[in-house]
Amino acid sequence: MVLEATMICIDNSEWMRNGDYSPNRFQAQADAVNLICGAKTQSNPENTVGVLTMAGKGVRVLVTPTSDLGKILACMHGLEIGGEMNLAAGIQVAQLALKHRQNKKQQQRIIVFAGSPVKYDKKVLELIGRKLKKNSVALDIVNFGEEDEEKREKLEALLAAVNNNDSSHIVHVPPGPSALSDVLISTPIFTGDGEGGSGFAAAAAAAAAGGVSGFEFGVDPNLDPELALALRVSMEEERARQEAAAKKAAEEAAKQEKGEQQSTSQDTTMTENVDPGTSEPDKKTHDLMDDENALLQQALAMSMDDSSSTVAVRDTDMSDASADDHDLQLALQLSVQEGAVDQSNQTDMNKLLADQSFVSSILTSLPGVDPNDPHVKDLLASMQSQSEPNKEDDKAPKEDEKK
Amino acid sequence: MACLHDHNCEEHDCSSDWSLYKHIDLSKVSALNEAVSGSVKSVFRAWEQRLNSSEGYLESNEGDPELIVFIPFTSDVKLKSISIVGGVDGTSPAKMRAFINRDGIDFSDAQNMQPVQEWDLVENLQGVLEYQTRYSRFQSVGNITLHFPDNFGGDTTQIHYIGLKGEATQLKRDVVATIVYELMPNPSDHKTRAETGGGLSQVE
Repeated sequence: MVLEATMICIDNSEWMRNGDYSPNRFQAQADAVNLICGAKTQSNPENTVGVLTMAGKGVRVLVTPTSDLGKILACMHGLEIGGEMNLAAGIQVAQLALKHRQNKKQQQRIIVFAGSPVKYDKKVLELIGRKLKKNSVALDIVNFGEEDEEKREKLEALLAAVNNNDSSHIVHVPPGPSALSDVLISTPIFTGDGEGGSGFAAAAAAAAAGGVSGFEFGVDPNLDPELALALRVSMEEERARQEAAAKKAAEEAAKQEKGEQQSTSQDTTMTENVDPGTSEPDKKTHDLMDDENALLQQALAMSMDDSSSTVAVRDTDMSDASADDHDLQLALQLSVQEGAVDQSNQTDMNKLLADQSFVSSILTSLPGVDPNDPHVKDLLASMQSQSEPNKEDDKAPKEDEKK
Repeated sequence: MACLHDHNCEEHDCSSDWSLYKHIDLSKVSALNEAVSGSVKSVFRAWEQRLNSSEGYLESNEGDPELIVFIPFTSDVKLKSISIVGGVDGTSPAKMRAFINRDGIDFSDAQNMQPVQEWDLVENLQGVLEYQTRYSRFQSVGNITLHFPDNFGGDTTQIHYIGLKGEATQLKRDVVATIVYELMPNPSDHKTRAETGGGLSQVE
């Protein structure tokens, strides 16, 4: 946003016919000039830009510093290529043009496009540089086109002489696939001494970066704030919904799950579901079916009397049911207690069964047990019953009888 | 405060005489060929502080003793005399040329133009010397440009203090800074907030 008057020095010498920048050096230069003019006038409406050519018949000022972009673009038409670039004279005429600017409050800046070889020596250029520095004129140099060490050195020396507090810059642009303007956009020549860059430069840089804008959802909030906002809100809603669904599925799995293996598999499937996936609803239905399968399998297992392992697991499962619902927890606890009583009986009974089967085998192997067979059968039947003391009583008289 | 004038300072207060620094528009003070941008603002102080350049002083670039100092005032002043405190070892300025009410003088202008007045300076390290002006020519000074073309042989020129003595009038000159005149009103130059932004409402 610095108030600036800029003079752009264009190189329209014979060397600009070369095609190593597309379409040719001169066109690339013209595009860059147009972009610079736009950037300058946008960053501060009172900025003025002027253009002069350095080659041809001699240094010629095409337009004196003006803020009228149309005038500047118009003067770039119909320029002829020819002659040799006169760098020193070009810079001096630019300085003179800036001196006679209308608004004396503007900072003075010269932008030089140096495409052809520099015929002046370093000393002369340094002298010019010092004079510019003395009159507080900043200088930006765009070194493109002809590449040689001498030219580079001379331009660097010129920059060193002019540079006051990093207000002057030099950019070397080698020939390549990217256009001259694209390379310049990211340089301080466009962004204006690191002030943060004008919006124009930033937007242009974003566009020129090629494709991926790097913004969330691929939409620039600057360009389309409503769309960006809508996308962001819908993303958050979807995420919240998925989390709620995942939590609910996890609860169901914890409640209904019986088998250890099934539980672990459930857990893994549940954890997989916690990731916000678009196929989450499908997975959820699968899990429900898995729950039903698990229930079926558990029922089968129970009937197969393979309950010792599953029962214990069932206990743990019931206690592990980390339901957020307090009522559910209470209900679970009650059921667990009842079940515990049953299960403890059952476990004891299992032990007894094991013992009793052993005892009954002994009983049957004993001589004179035949009339006791119905008793034995009763005993065996009573073993299935749930009253433990009855069994013991039965056991005791039976043993007495045997004795 | 003891001042080294050859008169009895108890009778009058020197500092009040040299109070024109209060009427300087410091934000618009500028200098050409200064080594440190903005250092020129530190040379305008009260009379008592004239030897105290702890906040910096004005120095020219290496190898180039020329300096131009542009001093705008907040109102027109009548300038009676000027005092300059230079640096040691030949860095004090040797000549001073003044231009009145001219904007944007640079070195080529200063060298070619006829100044309103010029003085030969001596090394004035204590700040006791004052250079009087031709008062009739300095009656309504809106801004003054001082050009120091030479020094006493040093590599750079240093100025530690510039004192101005005179009276401030309440008149102001050049109140309007820059005007862009419109021959015809152009609606695009007068965009209101409602028109820009394409009608999007603010999302807070």
